[in-house]
Amino acid sequence: MTTLHLFSRSLLLDAGALDGLSWVGSEDTVLLTGAAVEALRPGSVAAERLARLPAEAALYALAEDVQARRLHPERAVTLIDYPTFVDLSVSCAKVISWT
Amino acid sequence: MKFAIVVLSPPQAPSARRALRFCEALLAEGHELSRLFLYRDGVHNASHALVSGQDESDLPARWRELIERHQIDAVVCIAAALKRGLLDENEARRYEREGAVNVRAPWQLSGLGQLHEAVQDADRLLCFGGD
Repeated sequence: MTTLHLFSRSLLLDAGALDGLSWVGSEDTVLLTGAAVEALRPGSVAAERLARLPAEAALYALAEDVQARRLHPERAVTLIDYPTFVDLSVSCAKVISWT
Repeated sequence: MKFAIVVLSPPQAPSARRALRFCEALLAEGHELSRLFLYRDGVHNASHALVSGQDESDLPARWRELIERHQIDAVVCIAAALKRGLLDENEARRYEREGAVNVRAPWQLSGLGQLHEAVQDADRLLCFGGD
């Protein structure tokens, strides 16, 4: 049973968001939005935390938040729009919002 | 599919705008938004008193337009609202603040039980807070 883990706070500054990462399973999906996309900044401390994810977990990020921060992710991540955000929340069996 | 959406952040926060964009997208795809629930600082999205800058999006107005167009059940947590000075006519009368009404239809003040009910009824619950 797959779960969509929705992050919107900094993985560096927010303890709850960091805890959330530890709950991501290998069949789960992670979506970064808002300040959480800072974890895609190459070489950042937040990126090191994102590296703790299981290698098999699917990683997505909201495109507008990545573009607003002029990020150029080095790791594999799929950038999505709002309709795809909706589709992800439908295709996963449940959603956990780490807000 | 039925969605329940909780907004935890005020209209100035990017996460409140994300919530609105997500709701617009799910409705455009033909899904149902069974309840929209404002909680904590998210209650400010229901304020009729908020004035946005000319170069800023008027998020409370955009919420009202979406709710009215799609006949969405839109609930504001009454405890969170009262603490933040958000009052409908009934609560303004109850607390003798008749001149301070700033929550009107399509929003309704109600309790956390409405959130519990929405969680039970919906296929998916998404909460929008943070940055």
